Amino acid sequence: MAVVETFKALGDPVRLEMVQRLASGSSHTVGSLSSGLGITRQGARKHLQVLTDAKLIILEPKGRETEVRLQRDSLDTARAFISELERRWDRRLEALRNFVELESLEEPSSNEE
Amino acid sequence: MQDTIQREITIKASKERVYAAIADPKQMISWFPDAIEGTLEVGERPIFDFGEYGKNQIYIEAAQPHEYFAYRWIPGANHFIGDVLTRANTLVEFRLAETGGITKVTMLESGFASLPIEVAEECLNQNTGGWEYMLGRLEKRFTEE
Repeated sequence: MAVVETFKALGDPVRLEMVQRLASGSSHTVGSLSSGLGITRQGARKHLQVLTDAKLIILEPKGRETEVRLQRDSLDTARAFISELERRWDRRLEALRNFVELESLEEPSSNEE
Repeated sequence: MQDTIQREITIKASKERVYAAIADPKQMISWFPDAIEGTLEVGERPIFDFGEYGKNQIYIEAAQPHEYFAYRWIPGANHFIGDVLTRANTLVEFRLAETGGITKVTMLESGFASLPIEVAEECLNQNTGGWEYMLGRLEKRFTEE
């Protein structure tokens, strides 16, 4: 169900762009995050509320500004990291097999250097 | 964080052949890094060069033909040059077992539990990371519509 919430929240080009800006690693205020998106302050606030409800972002007042941060709790991060590395190993081992099996076909009698 | 990743694959070749593909740098670059600076001998610290994805200096832990090969590295690191033994790292082990001309390769990577979460975050912030991957797929859907 959390996944459905996440995808619903991201199912809008403006909100997707906001999350992409945050995912690129730079820090943002409400102002910088909504600039150039053709939305009003009121509109920006609504979008940010949807992202907050879906636990995708955290709003943190910093003086007169509000800082927006991507919310990746460490468990999600750890899981995403492990599955990314698993994908990489699957690709690599597949490449190892292709390399070895194709090489063996090309040089059937080269098992003694 | 779970501590290990284990993967298995079977290859139609002798274990000698598979071992050479894993432990000989000239062969390893056909399927793993784009280039290797240094040798893959025990105690050495060669650099895996992944081209646009950066370089990663590793440590060769063991090389026992034609059964076992192991190294340490910082997984998912884009640019790590230095002594990996001074950092939290993972151990990558390849075990080979041959039966009737078919070699089973078991890859075990362990030590994730001791990695700082920043290593995972950094990896996921790269272009190949999970977030970018998911966002990329969503974006594709929007542009196709």
